Amino acid sequence: MHPYASQLAELFHHLYPEMALVLCACVLFIGGLFKADRRLWGIVALAGLATAFALTLISPEAQSLPGTAVFGVPVVFDSLAHLTRLLALASGAMFILLCWDESPERFVADHHACFLLIIAGVSMVGSANDLCVLFLALELISIPTYILLYLPKHDDASQEASMKYFLLSVLASAFLLFGFSYLFGITGTTNIAGIMQVMLGANDEERKAVAGMAQISMLMIAAGLCFRVAAVPFHFYAPDVYQGTSTSGAALLSYIPKIAGFVAMLRIFGFVLPPGVDSAGHRAIGMALSDQTPTLFWFLAALTMTIGNILAILQDNLKRLFAYSSISHTGYMLVALASAPYLSGPDAATNGVAALLFYLVAYGAMTFGVFATILMLHRTDRPVESVDDLAGLAKSHPRVALLLTVLCLSLLGFPFTAGFTGKFFVFFGALATHAPGSTLPHWLYPTLAVVGMVNAAIGGWYYLRLISVMYLRTSVKPIETCGSIPGLATLAICVALTLGLSVPPGANWLLRSVRQTTDRTAIVAQPQALNMVPGP
Amino acid sequence: MNLYQTLLLILIFLPVAAAVLVACLGPARAQLVRQISLLASVAGAVIALVIAIGFISNRDHAKQIHRFEPMFVPGNTTDAPHATTWNLIDLNMGSEASKDKNAPKLGAIQFFVGVDGLNIWLVVLTAILMVSSILISWNAIDERVHEFHAWLFVLNFGMVGVFLAFDIILFYVFFELTLVPLFFLIGIWGGPERRYAARKFFIYTLAGSVLTFLGLLAVVVVCYQQAVPHELTFSIPELVTRFNHLLESAPASERAFYASFQFWVFLAMMAGFAIKVPLFPVHTWLPLAHVEAPTAGSVLLAGVLLKMGTYGFMRLCLPLAPDASITVGVPVIGTLSVIGILYGAFCARAQDDIKKLVAYSSVSHLGFCTLGMFALNSAGLTGSLMQMINHGLSTGALFLIVGMIYERYHTRMIGDYGGLGSKLKVISFCMVFVSLSSVGLPGLNGFVGEALIFFGMYDLRPVLAILGTGGIILGAWYLMSMLRQVFFGELKEPDTHGHEVHDINAREVAALAPLLVLCLLLGVYPQPVLNSVKPDIEVVERIVQKRIDNMNTKVADGR
Repeated sequence: MHPYASQLAELFHHLYPEMALVLCACVLFIGGLFKADRRLWGIVALAGLATAFALTLISPEAQSLPGTAVFGVPVVFDSLAHLTRLLALASGAMFILLCWDESPERFVADHHACFLLIIAGVSMVGSANDLCVLFLALELISIPTYILLYLPKHDDASQEASMKYFLLSVLASAFLLFGFSYLFGITGTTNIAGIMQVMLGANDEERKAVAGMAQISMLMIAAGLCFRVAAVPFHFYAPDVYQGTSTSGAALLSYIPKIAGFVAMLRIFGFVLPPGVDSAGHRAIGMALSDQTPTLFWFLAALTMTIGNILAILQDNLKRLFAYSSISHTGYMLVALASAPYLSGPDAATNGVAALLFYLVAYGAMTFGVFATILMLHRTDRPVESVDDLAGLAKSHPRVALLLTVLCLSLLGFPFTAGFTGKFFVFFGALATHAPGSTLPHWLYPTLAVVGMVNAAIGGWYYLRLISVMYLRTSVKPIETCGSIPGLATLAICVALTLGLSVPPGANWLLRSVRQTTDRTAIVAQPQALNMVPGP
Repeated sequence: MNLYQTLLLILIFLPVAAAVLVACLGPARAQLVRQISLLASVAGAVIALVIAIGFISNRDHAKQIHRFEPMFVPGNTTDAPHATTWNLIDLNMGSEASKDKNAPKLGAIQFFVGVDGLNIWLVVLTAILMVSSILISWNAIDERVHEFHAWLFVLNFGMVGVFLAFDIILFYVFFELTLVPLFFLIGIWGGPERRYAARKFFIYTLAGSVLTFLGLLAVVVVCYQQAVPHELTFSIPELVTRFNHLLESAPASERAFYASFQFWVFLAMMAGFAIKVPLFPVHTWLPLAHVEAPTAGSVLLAGVLLKMGTYGFMRLCLPLAPDASITVGVPVIGTLSVIGILYGAFCARAQDDIKKLVAYSSVSHLGFCTLGMFALNSAGLTGSLMQMINHGLSTGALFLIVGMIYERYHTRMIGDYGGLGSKLKVISFCMVFVSLSSVGLPGLNGFVGEALIFFGMYDLRPVLAILGTGGIILGAWYLMSMLRQVFFGELKEPDTHGHEVHDINAREVAALAPLLVLCLLLGVYPQPVLNSVKPDIEVVERIVQKRIDNMNTKVADGR
């Protein structure tokens, strides 16, 4: 067999987890026609995720690609791909538990099926090594999302929310494609490793020649992906859509597209280079497309944090509040991205990509926990929609109130929670960017850190408001529901993660895992991989 | 691990265990909750005293130390007696810097705690005030008793942790941790405006401390990037040593960088610590929080939490931004302190609520504290540290007594009272005693601290010192006026709705007596305490004085 063909064949071994997910989705789609059973289809979906997880564990961790083969294959399996897959599967399981009771029984199979497709898409984003695969993976997330947003609720608000998301998402995809086309035009390949090699290998003159096009491409791609992560100024849909759609839909939007968006950013801007790409050049990570990438992220981060937090203060509706809170957390993660290029030297005190991924994981636990709580407490006769609806929760549900308090404190960035540890890495990175001898104005990133920290204090205002409503006020009509077991389980797991990831050994474990994604030395130091190419 | 290291760990984690235990007991067993809390807090106080005695007796007083050298550090080894190997979060970038398990690792956030002269007495103060706080809440708190005590112990955990931490991140973690329990203590069990007070307190302090966090991180980063070889460390003694070494060895071209760097770090740290102290323009959260808090909350807030600000200045701000402390700190904080002293005193005089009066007197007294600290010499620093302890004792006691009176009559208005001395004889005696200690009567504790502070400040800025002494006179004025109105003259009692009002009972004696005894003890024989803090005070003093000398020679060279 031709070596290239055997490589492609080998790729399919690596794709078993995604295949399992799609297969399970097909079973759900077909089975849903015959039986409407919440429990059955929930278990089937969980089983699908578990199978995918098992397949992930038994599949070889890193792809043993020979030297230059990375430039020929559409998917690549490195630590980032592995981490993204685990993260996708874990958040998938959480989400199924979270929406166990919410989606109408009639559609539950379709609901879970669409969701598994989304998870497969997120997982694919992590391993995409080709613009086409990346785009398809992102669409594999978007298209089922349109359905998911509309399935559980059929009122006007929900329709409006789905339409809004649909139209803007299509627009974002168009931006993305536009950017991709320029990138293809510059480099002549759709292979991401190839693009990186061309852009990083170019000398200064060549870079200057394509700088304009490359910058347009960077802007367009950033615009398309900023929509996914809900960064200002592409955030306008978030509050309306969160409010209009079901609570589980809001939970989904607050996290799953963020994973995909940020991982895609890491790939396409060259923050994490595929193994085999020669990064020995003088260019820092993240500057593959343009030297202006960090500048762009600097402004995006500052804007996103500030606008997200300030608008969150004004909200009374819980879902809107958490929509803006979600936007502001995107801002913190963008700080990590903005500082990552300057933290790639051998002497760097910390690592921006690792900080971003750490924060991403931590944020997942917090946001799912919050939405699980809202979902659990909400009943049509005693809605939990505005902040005031939480009044007196500490009296009626002391344990739930305590758990929600922990989550709020974590969102606020309080010590002993994962939110603090995440913020520590992000802002420590931002302060550590100014290495001696760099030409960067030395006030630039400290300013961003100050903006971020002031925002954390502003965030304190509205998270604290939730806590004080729960503990310091009483309700005329106390919440009576005691919550379902899956909902409680989600909440408990989220809080356990929030606390566990802030202290050793949890924090160290996560830090090690996220650090592996940029650990180029480990990948380069595998010369035996070269010997595994079968001769022609 | 030796006895004292174990005791230190118990001292830190006993409150956590107690908090979990009382929270689990539930609302039904209030009396049991109180008894267990009392037991735990007494145990904490005993352990703290044992550690203090151990500290005094184990310390080699003849030796002059050159850096912060915490004792009884859990996890230290013979190779590194003043460091620890207990890593929390390992930030090593994959490099196997030290494979030796027993060597203290760099590049990690560590659980680095220990005692030295600067913190030992504050820890003892915390432990003693905890006992008083629990005793004074015995009857005053009768709803959600288990939650109240659980939060009280979480607060205790945070307070002890702040003082004992020798890792800069650990310090900040504990610093922030104190906000949550106090938020709940004020917000749930406070007075009529408790919600507003609790939120204002929380947001105010949070806003300042996030900037402090950045300042602390910036120092860590600069120590990492500028030093050769690059070694990341979060240990406060290491950072202080390295940063000052950097300052000394900096070539002329980098002096401007360090000057501006220190300026910003100083501002960032000051943002958090000045709010916590509180210094004059940012003190507005304090009277509100004090007045609304339950008595135990006020006692701990005034007695311990405000000291976290002054302690932060002394432990971190002076050693890590010495130049800025001299050029910016002395004029700015010195002036603000004097303004705070006088303004706080006048405000206190104007109050008709006893608790508010005591709260404003705190603003005034903490002004003395910072004034002495920024005298930057041994006398001033020692006085400042003494004033921290003295203020904790006397203001703690004042709040306790105000709480006792409030429990009896349910009003705190000065105008409602008169001549209580003829009815509540013992309480009145205590009040007079504590007021005199607070005013700084020679023979009681307040005098020692204030005298040292003014000796120190007179050396540096006589004008500030002279203006500051005005605060003592004003202090006597407002406290004596209050005493005359409330405790002397003709008996005037508010309506008690038929309740018999008794003088002090045994529980209240137990809450108050230790503080009064210590007030007297520190007033007549402060020498053991002064001796034990001396070496560490001198470390701070040496760092700052060296920078002053450095500046003077530079000025001389310039001519």
